Amino acid sequence: MANPLLGDTPGETHLLLGNEAIVRGAIEAGIQVVSCYPGTPSSEVPDTFYRISPDGKYYFEYSVNEKVALEVAGGATLAGAMTLCTMKHVGVNVAADPLMTLCYTGAPGGMVLLSADDPGCHSSQNEQDNRIYARIAGMPILEPSTAQEAKDMTRDGLRLSKKHGAPLLLRTTTRVNHLRGSVEFGPAPDPGNAEGFKRNPSKFVPIPAFSRPMHLALLDRIEALREEAENSVYNTVTGSGELGIVCSGISSAYVADALDNAGLADKVSVLQLGFPYPLPEKKCLDFIKSVKKILVVEELEPVVENEFRVLAQQNEVSIEILGKDVLPRFGEFSVTMVENVIRQILGEAPVEACDCDLPELPGRPPNLCAGCPHRGTYFAAKKVFGDDAVYSSDIGCYTLGILPPLQAADFLVCMGSSISAGGGVAKASGQTVVAFIGDSTFFHSGLSGVANAVFNQHDILLVVLDNRTTAMTGHQPNPGVDRTVLGENDHPLDIESAVRGLGVTEVRTVNPFNQKKTLAALEELKALSGVRVLIAKEPCPLFTRRVYKKVAPQVAYVAESCTGRFDCLDKLACPAMYKEGGKAAVNPMLCNGCMLCLQVCGHIKAKKRGS
Amino acid sequence: MSDTKKIRIFMTGVGGQGTLTATTLLAQTVLSQGLPVTSGEIHGMAQRGGVVESTVLIGCKSPKLGHGEADILLGFEPMETMRALPYLKKGGLVVSSTEFIPPLAVAMGKQECPTIDDIKKAVAACTDQAYYMANQTIGLEAGAAQSGNVAMLGALCAAGKLPFGPEALEAAIKANLPEKIQAVNLKALELGVKTLNA
Repeated sequence: MANPLLGDTPGETHLLLGNEAIVRGAIEAGIQVVSCYPGTPSSEVPDTFYRISPDGKYYFEYSVNEKVALEVAGGATLAGAMTLCTMKHVGVNVAADPLMTLCYTGAPGGMVLLSADDPGCHSSQNEQDNRIYARIAGMPILEPSTAQEAKDMTRDGLRLSKKHGAPLLLRTTTRVNHLRGSVEFGPAPDPGNAEGFKRNPSKFVPIPAFSRPMHLALLDRIEALREEAENSVYNTVTGSGELGIVCSGISSAYVADALDNAGLADKVSVLQLGFPYPLPEKKCLDFIKSVKKILVVEELEPVVENEFRVLAQQNEVSIEILGKDVLPRFGEFSVTMVENVIRQILGEAPVEACDCDLPELPGRPPNLCAGCPHRGTYFAAKKVFGDDAVYSSDIGCYTLGILPPLQAADFLVCMGSSISAGGGVAKASGQTVVAFIGDSTFFHSGLSGVANAVFNQHDILLVVLDNRTTAMTGHQPNPGVDRTVLGENDHPLDIESAVRGLGVTEVRTVNPFNQKKTLAALEELKALSGVRVLIAKEPCPLFTRRVYKKVAPQVAYVAESCTGRFDCLDKLACPAMYKEGGKAAVNPMLCNGCMLCLQVCGHIKAKKRGS
Repeated sequence: MSDTKKIRIFMTGVGGQGTLTATTLLAQTVLSQGLPVTSGEIHGMAQRGGVVESTVLIGCKSPKLGHGEADILLGFEPMETMRALPYLKKGGLVVSSTEFIPPLAVAMGKQECPTIDDIKKAVAACTDQAYYMANQTIGLEAGAAQSGNVAMLGALCAAGKLPFGPEALEAAIKANLPEKIQAVNLKALELGVKTLNA
């Protein structure tokens, strides 16, 4: 049976994750092409498209990085296809170059870019506010606050994009991507075929002579879209009162619940801007004039707040506008936070704070899993290079190598930077540099770093942590994988051939669970100079279990002879091991049978699983 | 929204325990009763053995819970119940597991977990409505350790704080879980209700 997300079943109601609702919205719009690079909190959008793709009527791909994904999407929409491209907020930095130009060429088939922002840094290196990108590029924004809106806005955003030939930003935040709510389905018509590319160089080739008129056309498009925003069903005024609250995205949900809790829903006027850019100036000015004071509730940057200040000034309206002076410019909001600000403005007492006084509890930070091959690689690298080398890290599960006792991450910039930034350290200081990069990140943006290192003769040891999948974001395929959740990959790209092709001559491939060979390879490479590559190749154990359906036949156990030295625990920090009665022990339920600990201590032995 | 009585549930556990599966099942149960439901979860690094927190909210628009907002706290691991206590509204309902999953620092002997008595004392300072159960043991009795979560959901449904009883959860299990794991979870549900009433 095909997945319910694909069915032409108007009127049905399903409980959907925000990200699944986005998928349904695209299907209702007649989506034809979907490209992406996975990244939390966006990943369930492409993963859902991928999982149901055998029954879907769209083309889907995991692209190798966000720039490539947006270029594929750009080509598709130029060929007349209705197109969706998904990524996390920092991915838009990678894709910013094609984004700016695509807003000039336009999107004849319609194109929505999903930017999943992450206020609070739940799983990201920063909390940048991508609403600002839309203003640089000149693209309209829709910001959902519920699962139903996530579905509807994706559908309507694609239609609006096609109508105006304007790329549109669907901007979500983690809470919206990962909420669940009921979603009522609309019809899902057959998308048919893309209209095909129609030659028109003056519109599609941005040489300077054409770019200038393209820019003018873009400015006209922004005004046409402002008219759409004036009349959009997503920009609504509710309630009435002297205080006017302006909100968009998840902040609208916090405002609605806060007013409900405080019993103030009828005493405050609320302008929800689900379609906040281009700002519907007439509607906003009417709102400004209808109240005595404005509170703008938006997470992160004062984007809408500043536009309101400009609007008031331009129209010579004198009104107090509150925003970042009463609400933080960092992290996430909450219902109580918003409620207390509203109460304060209205002169009411704040909600009673919680007085729960707890002792400090042991933390539960994420860890490298039991049986993670990165543990073997880091253990060997630290043994050979100790604290003398500078460890340049990259983005993936393996960033967890920062934790003691392995401590193999000294600095990190962004996807793919381990090689290039590592080369910068080596060139600037002459220090020994060991860089770590995962297989998916290597294909994302490591290749050009390797070419650069070879070209500029950097002195660097690059360790590719090749666990045969994109582990951290949920086991998405990358060009190197042998298998995916849908089956075999019959044309895997080989990392060793790739680095040799880029001119690296010193390359070794090892299984990091074979410590003797891994140590020998590292010693050999340490003695050399220039660009050297070690490929530590062993599948992620979670991936092995889920996709290869394999479990190691043996587990480790600690023999009676254990002397309680605890080297195993102190040096490996494997979550399957624990201390018990002065001796080390292994939990056979958690042990993945990697047998790394056997190579650290002679008192640890192997036995048949279940014996 | 305002015409439905708001009920806010905070759920917490450890990565790999099935906290999110339980969250979705409870949200589906609420929806099947025709009630407006929003639920929230945070994915990502949590699956590498970290804390997993989620919410199920009836009659609310926001998927997030702040401190002091939860009417119900469901803790699938006792230390995580304690850690999440600031989210509980004074006098709210607590349903917690009594079986520890020690974090790495505790397993390595570098730190210690609080005792179950410490945890019960901390809970008692916030509310006198608390139920404790050995959810993994109950789950194993039903046929799979993870089904202990459903036993706790069953106990929650039987505690009288939700606008529906265990039979709604039973129907949701039959409608939403894969057939091969239904029997185990229905058994767990039965055991959970029994534990609460014991």
